[in-house]
Amino acid sequence: MAKAREVPGLHAQLSYREAAAATVRVRAEELFDAREGVLDTEDIERVHAMRVATRRLRAVLEIYRPCFDADAYRPVLRDVKALADALGARRDPDVQLDALSALAAAMPRTDLAGIDLLADEVRAEQAQGNELLAVALAETERSDLHARLLGLLEDPA
Amino acid sequence: MKARKVKALDPDGPLGDQLERIVRVRTAELFAFMPRAGEPDEVAHLHDMRIAAKRLRYILEIAEESFGPYAATASKRTKELQDLLGEIHDCDVTLPRVLALTGRARAEDVETARTKAGAAKDLEPKLASGGPNAQAYRGLAALATYYRARRELLFDRFLVFWEALQREGFRARLEYAAAERPGGPEPSADGNGRAGEPGLRSALSTP
Repeated sequence: MAKAREVPGLHAQLSYREAAAATVRVRAEELFDAREGVLDTEDIERVHAMRVATRRLRAVLEIYRPCFDADAYRPVLRDVKALADALGARRDPDVQLDALSALAAAMPRTDLAGIDLLADEVRAEQAQGNELLAVALAETERSDLHARLLGLLEDPA
Repeated sequence: MKARKVKALDPDGPLGDQLERIVRVRTAELFAFMPRAGEPDEVAHLHDMRIAAKRLRYILEIAEESFGPYAATASKRTKELQDLLGEIHDCDVTLPRVLALTGRARAEDVETARTKAGAAKDLEPKLASGGPNAQAYRGLAALATYYRARRELLFDRFLVFWEALQREGFRARLEYAAAERPGGPEPSADGNGRAGEPGLRSALSTP
């Protein structure tokens, strides 16, 4: 998992509002920089990196909630959550398939048919998750979530 | 599980003080799950405790630079706790799934046997082992055993880990660290933090 990018100039005496602006800006950049190649099911680390970035962004939005205009904030948080859910719908099967593959390697050959039966089900969920993620990514672009996130910083509470 | 509301956050106040308020609420939220989540059958409670650990972890990731030195250790411990609870949760989700899949596989094999039997007066025993999933049962049973046994093992580890956190004084030390400001004034000689703020003495008396 990629380490969170440092937020420059953050210190305990900075105002909560200034810290909110600096942190959300960095976490939003982190998220949108992680978009590349996430629909590639052969490289499961990309979707993982973007999901972690989404979680971090969601966490800072919730932590700094009082610093934002409530009407602008609510739909932005809702859309970040929707993106996080779509990333989870792809990432959870990725992790399960990885775990089942490790189990298959460690268990006797006579157990493989049962493990394969479960893996087939999970693979179908992975494909569905990827479709959901493609829709969510397109919606993120269409609604210009990045600009709306940065807009929160210009129109504080 | 909805997060507890943190009152009196001031957008124009210093970051460290606002983060301290949030950390205190999130820490209390996490600790409120015990001792109930220490019962092996309290699956939903344990799941909610994982969410509470995640919330505390994320605020500590942001706050540790603004707090005293134990905050970084607390952040690491909280991540360890969250990871452990996450592994237990995986078992809690996957075991019922394996059992349900076994049930569906058996139902399919029963239907196949019944179809092959046609209008026979009785079922040929060999039809029971010739279904499409006949080879899968052994592996499914092994998976069910694996997830059940792993869950028990991880849950025991969770209890040991939680006890170690108590011995380490996790909560009191975290609350003290949250009241410290690196480079700021030292806690006063009476053992308490800044005026009007709970410090080490009151933190140690927290249950």
